[in-house]
Amino acid sequence: MRHLLGLAAILLLPTLPAAAAEGERITVTGEIIDTWCYYSGVMGGPDSVVGSAHHTCALWCSASGIPIGLLTEDGTVYTVLKLGAQDNATGSDTALRLASHTVTADGMFYARDGINYIVVENIVEDLGIVNLTHEDYDVVPSFAIPEPKE
Amino acid sequence: MIRAALLPALALFAAPLAAQDFSQNSEAKSWNLYSEVPAMFEAKVVDAMCELTGDCPENCGDGDRQLALLRGADNVLVMALKNNQPAFTGAVVDLLPYCGQEITVDGLLIEDEDFPVKNVYLVQRIKAAERDWSKASQFTKVWAAKNPDAKGKGAWYRRDPRINARIEAEGYLGLGLEVDAAFKEYLFE
Repeated sequence: MRHLLGLAAILLLPTLPAAAAEGERITVTGEIIDTWCYYSGVMGGPDSVVGSAHHTCALWCSASGIPIGLLTEDGTVYTVLKLGAQDNATGSDTALRLASHTVTADGMFYARDGINYIVVENIVEDLGIVNLTHEDYDVVPSFAIPEPKE
Repeated sequence: MIRAALLPALALFAAPLAAQDFSQNSEAKSWNLYSEVPAMFEAKVVDAMCELTGDCPENCGDGDRQLALLRGADNVLVMALKNNQPAFTGAVVDLLPYCGQEITVDGLLIEDEDFPVKNVYLVQRIKAAERDWSKASQFTKVWAAKNPDAKGKGAWYRRDPRINARIEAEGYLGLGLEVDAAFKEYLFE
């Protein structure tokens, strides 16, 4: 009977709402990126859709609510779910202000189903845009800067 | 004896946990992305932060929170990054009306073990309950309603007041107007 009860409990597991995971406090440094262009490759390789070359596109995507990420030097991406106590990071003014900036963020880390998440409690340091990718890629996409009218 | 009887039941339980093919019956259109995989599945629309942390405001945060799809078949949390419009548009606006509801979605998963990336999604169409499929293309309509003073020709992202304010202050590269001016001279010479 104990076996059957145990099995019943196991079988019920997938139907229960997922319990909130326990987060881990972390401090990480990285660039605020546009996750869609970075993951999908829609605009080109990963090195071309970060930094100054992609800054305008990052503004467009962030303003529309596409999740922003924090890309660290070792290539880890944290999907940013919050940017301080009052800011949910979805198309927010803070998210726009920090687009393409390299920041040090303090917050809670969660991981689920292959995706890393960070709930940022505090931006400890904002270095501004230091990844000068326009020197290699001009602008991505190429129409980001409208051609001056003659 | 009990163990023998349990095996088929455990196999049933384990099946959804194995990697599944969600491309069957999908009518998702290709975006010619390197790692796109067509995928149609049933899911509950959830507030990602609520799901992870237990901090759960009303109505999935009313558009301020990132939304995700809690897939029914395997309980995997799929992040909805993009809607169906080729216009730099997210999926929150399209999914928010279905907060907490079970829906069927069709679109493109981005899956690449080497990158690595998985469980992120472009939503192309949505089916709720007995209703017909609807395209996940509401962003620009909702944006226009929220920005009546930004009417005009051209794409929404050229007319958005917040985007334009940032570009006016810091330039297209975000490095300041002087750097921008020099770069534009080089770019359009």
